[in-house]
Amino acid sequence: MLWKLAWRNLWRNRTRTVLTALVIAVGLVAMVFTDTMFEGMNTNMVKNATDSLMGHAQMNALGFRDEQNVTLTINDIDQSLAHLEEHPHLSALSMRVVTQSMLSSSAGTEPVLSLGIDPKEEHRLSKFDEAIIEGEYLDSASGRNMILGSKLSEKLELHPGERLVLTSVDAASGEMTQELFRLSGIFKTGEDKMDESMVVVPRKTLQQMLKLEGKVHQIAMRFSQLTKDGVPLIPLAELHESSGNELLLWTELMPSLYMMTQMTDLSMAIMGVILFLIISLGITNTLLMGLYERLFEFGVIKSIGTTPWQTARLMVYEAICLGFFSVIVGLALSAVSTSMFASYGIDYIGIEISGVTLQEKIYPSLEWSRLVFYPFLSIGFTIIASVYPACKLFYMLPIDALRKRKL
Amino acid sequence: MTETLIAANNLTKTFGEGETEIYALRNVNLEIKRGDFAAIVGPSGSGKTTLLNILCGLDKLSSGDIQVSGRSLKEMNGSELSRFRLEHIGLVFQAYNLIPVLTVLENIEYVMLLQKVPAEERRKRVQNFLAKLGLEGKEDRFPAELSGGQQQRVAIARAMVSHPDIILADEPTANLDSEKGGQLLEMMKQFNKELSMTFVFSTHDPQIMEQAKRIVTLSDGQIVKDESRK
Repeated sequence: MLWKLAWRNLWRNRTRTVLTALVIAVGLVAMVFTDTMFEGMNTNMVKNATDSLMGHAQMNALGFRDEQNVTLTINDIDQSLAHLEEHPHLSALSMRVVTQSMLSSSAGTEPVLSLGIDPKEEHRLSKFDEAIIEGEYLDSASGRNMILGSKLSEKLELHPGERLVLTSVDAASGEMTQELFRLSGIFKTGEDKMDESMVVVPRKTLQQMLKLEGKVHQIAMRFSQLTKDGVPLIPLAELHESSGNELLLWTELMPSLYMMTQMTDLSMAIMGVILFLIISLGITNTLLMGLYERLFEFGVIKSIGTTPWQTARLMVYEAICLGFFSVIVGLALSAVSTSMFASYGIDYIGIEISGVTLQEKIYPSLEWSRLVFYPFLSIGFTIIASVYPACKLFYMLPIDALRKRKL
Repeated sequence: MTETLIAANNLTKTFGEGETEIYALRNVNLEIKRGDFAAIVGPSGSGKTTLLNILCGLDKLSSGDIQVSGRSLKEMNGSELSRFRLEHIGLVFQAYNLIPVLTVLENIEYVMLLQKVPAEERRKRVQNFLAKLGLEGKEDRFPAELSGGQQQRVAIARAMVSHPDIILADEPTANLDSEKGGQLLEMMKQFNKELSMTFVFSTHDPQIMEQAKRIVTLSDGQIVKDESRK
C-alpha cells in the first residue's frame, strides 16, 4: 500500500514530477552520452595509435628507445621471433630497421627518421599503404624505392620519380654512409611527426647501407584478441633479462595516452558525483515542496497508525518511484542521443590529443555495464535526496501537521 | 463491572510560556469505559479537541497522565504511540481527511494493511462496512468523487473496520447537514449498541448531545459536568 500511495502521490502534481524527472533524466543522458563519447574517443585514439606505426607491442634491444643508437639491434633475432610467435593471438609482426638520417634533394637537406621495412609485413601492421596520396607504396623489401611524408615532400619540393640521397651512420664503422633512392610515393598519415620527418625504405637496402645485414632494431606486433583497453587478451610472456631485449605494450610505449584512457573512469566518476549532487539538491527541494503541500495529509496518515518509520519510508518510496521513472525516461533519451551520434559521429579529425592525431570521427562506444551503473547512480542519489525530507517526516509530530491544515 | 479503556488523571495542557501561557486543559480527570457513547461538549476554545488529541496520544501532556491497558502514554515513543493508535483507537475528523489518492476501498483497507490483517479478512470486513454504511458500488471511487456525507461515512468505516477499542470523533457532523448528520449518528449508535463499540465525540451538535449516553461538559479547560443518561 505504501508503494501504491507513493506512486500515486508522485503524480498528484504531474508538471512538477515530469520536470523533476526530466532533470534527473537529462543528468543521466549527460553521463551516458559523455561516457560513451569518452569511451569512443579512447577507442579511437588507441586504434589510431596502434594502427599507425606503433602496433600493440614492440620489441627493441634494451636502451634503443632512449639512445636510438644504430648498433643497438635486437639480440638473437631468431630466438626472439620464436618467442613472439608462441603467442596464440599474434596476427602480424613487422621487423624494422630504424635510424636517424639526413635526406637531401636538389632543394635542400632535412633530418629524418628512416624506417626500413618489408612492405608485405608492414602492410598488415600499419597503414602506410593506405596513406599514399601520390605515387605508389613500396613493392619489395629490397630495391631503391622510398616513400616519405607529405609535409617533408613539400619542404623538399619533391614529386614521385625524383632521386634523393639518404645519409646515415653505418653500424660497423660509425662512418657516414649514403644511398641513392627514388621517390616512389608520398604518404599523409595525419600525424605531423610522421608526415614531416619520416622516410620509409626497403629493409634490406637499409640493412646493407647500415651494415646491419640480418639485423633489425624493432619488431612491431599486432594481436587479434584484445581486452577493452587494447592490450592482448593473453598477456605477453616476459622476456628473460639476459636476452638484452625489451618487450613493451603500447601502454608502456605511450604512457600519456594510456594514462588518459585510464583517467576517463575517474573523471567520469567525479563528474557524475558533482552532477548528481546538484540534481539531488533539486530533488530534495521538490520532495520538500511536496511534503509541505501535503503536511496535513501526512499528519492524518500518522495519526491513524502509520509509524514514523513507515511515513519516512513513504517519502523514500516516492523518491524511488521518481528515480525509476526518471531512469526509464533517461535511458530512452540516452538511446536516442547515442544512436544518433553512433550514426553521424563527431568530427574531430586532425585534432591531436595526448600525442595522437585523430584520424576518424569519434563514435560513441557503449559499455553495457554503464547502462546499469549510471541508472543505479541516478536512483541512488534520488534516494539520498529523499533522506532529509524523510527525516523531517519521521520526526514530525502528527498534531503539528494536523494544525497546518489550509483554511 | 465495565472495563475502563482510558483513564486520564489530572491532565493539564498549556500553550505558550510565561505571560503568554494559556491553559487548554486544567486538571482534567476522565475515565472512558467500554461501550460509552459520550459527547464532550462546551463552547469553542473550551478544550474539546485538545482533550481528544491528548486521549489518543496525538498531543503531548504538560502534566498529568493517561493510562491505557496499564501503560502510561507518556512513556511511549513515536512508534509506540502510532502502534497504540493503530491497535486501540479509531479517529474520525471533522473534515473527513481521507487520503485523496486512495480509493474508497483502499482508504478503508489502509489501517488493516498496517495491522497486517490477511487479504481475505480485509475484503470481508470492507464489504461488510460498505454494506452497512450504504457505500456499495463506490469501492473504486476516489474521495473527490463522493459527497461530504459519503466521505464521512468512509472515514467512519476506516476508523471502525480495524475493530478499535474506542472511536474518537472530533465534530464528525460539523460539515454535514442535519439530515446526513442524523443518519450518521444513527449508524454510530447502532454500532455502539450492536458491537459494543465505544464512541467519544467532541461536538456542538444538539443531535449528538441528545443521543449521547454520557455528556462531559468542558469550560475553560475544566470538566464542569460529567453526566450519564439512560
